Amino acid sequence: MSAPAPALAAPAKTPRKIAVVRMADASGAVAILSLVFGLLLVFFPESFPRMIVRSWQHAQLMPIMMVFTFLLDTCLYLRVAYLQSAKPRPAAAACLGSLPILVVGGLSILLRSALSYTLSAGLPNLQARLAEEILAHTYLGLVSAVFLPFLAIRLLQQLKAANA
Amino acid sequence: MPGWNSLKWLLWISLYLIPVVFLPWAISRTWVYQHGKELHLKPQQLFQRGELGLPSLVLACSVIWNLLQSQLTPHTIALGSVIMGLSGIMAVSVWVETYCRQSSGGDQRPERGWRDSRNLALLVFSMAAVLEILLDRFAKVVGQ
Repeated sequence: MSAPAPALAAPAKTPRKIAVVRMADASGAVAILSLVFGLLLVFFPESFPRMIVRSWQHAQLMPIMMVFTFLLDTCLYLRVAYLQSAKPRPAAAACLGSLPILVVGGLSILLRSALSYTLSAGLPNLQARLAEEILAHTYLGLVSAVFLPFLAIRLLQQLKAANA
Repeated sequence: MPGWNSLKWLLWISLYLIPVVFLPWAISRTWVYQHGKELHLKPQQLFQRGELGLPSLVLACSVIWNLLQSQLTPHTIALGSVIMGLSGIMAVSVWVETYCRQSSGGDQRPERGWRDSRNLALLVFSMAAVLEILLDRFAKVVGQ
C-alpha cells in the first residue's frame, strides 16, 4: 500500500495559544467606567443618585449590576482573546462568569449591613446619608465586579506559570 | 443643574498630571536644549519602565487617608480602601516588574511597561476623582 500523497493528507493542526490576561486590559475599561460615573455625578447631581436609590428600593439595582458587569467582563475577555488571536481559556471563562455575580452578591450583603449600621446609629439627616451610602456602594461594586475577576485570573495564570 | 462644586475634584485630580507627566517631560526638553543633543523624547519613552505606578500609589494612599477621615460607615471605608489600595499596588507592581524584566534582558516589548502603567495610572486617577466627589457629597450631607 502506498503512502498518502502530501497534498491529500489532512493538514496538521497547529494548537492556538491560550489568551493571557493583563491587568492593563481591564483597567482601561474600569477607568472609563469611573470617568463616566464621575461625569454623571457632576452633571446630574440630583437625578442620577435618585435613580440609583430608586432602583435599589425596587430591588432592581443588584440584578442590573450583575448583568452589566458580567457582560462587560465577557466582552473584555473576548476582546483580549481576539487581539491576541488566542483561544479563550475555559477556567478563565468560568471565573469571569461566576465572579462578577459573586462579587455583586457579596457587596449587596455588605451594603445591607452598612445601611443597618447607619439606621442603628440614629444620626441626623438619615435619608440623605443612606442615599450617599447606596451611591458609594454602587460605584465600588461596579469597579470591584469588573476589576476583581481579572485580578483573580491574572493571579491564577501567574500561579500556573510558576508551577509549570 | 450640573454640580460645578463636584467638578473641582476632577480638576484637582487632573492637576496631578502636571507634576507627574508634564513637568518631567518639560525638564527633559530643557536638558536636551541645554546640552545641544538631538533627542525628541516623548512621555512614553520617559515613562517606559512604568514609573507612573509610583505617583499612582501616592495618590491612592492620599485618597485612602481621606476615606479614613470621613464619617462613612466602616464597611464603605474598608471596601473603598481595599479597592483603592489594590489598584495602587497593581500600578506600582508594573513599575517593579518592568524594571526587573528589562534589567534581566528578558523584555522583548519595551512599549508594554508604558501601556500597562498608563492604563493603571488612569484607573487610579479616575477612581480617586470619583471617590473625592463622593466624599465631598457626603461631607455636605453630614454638615446639613
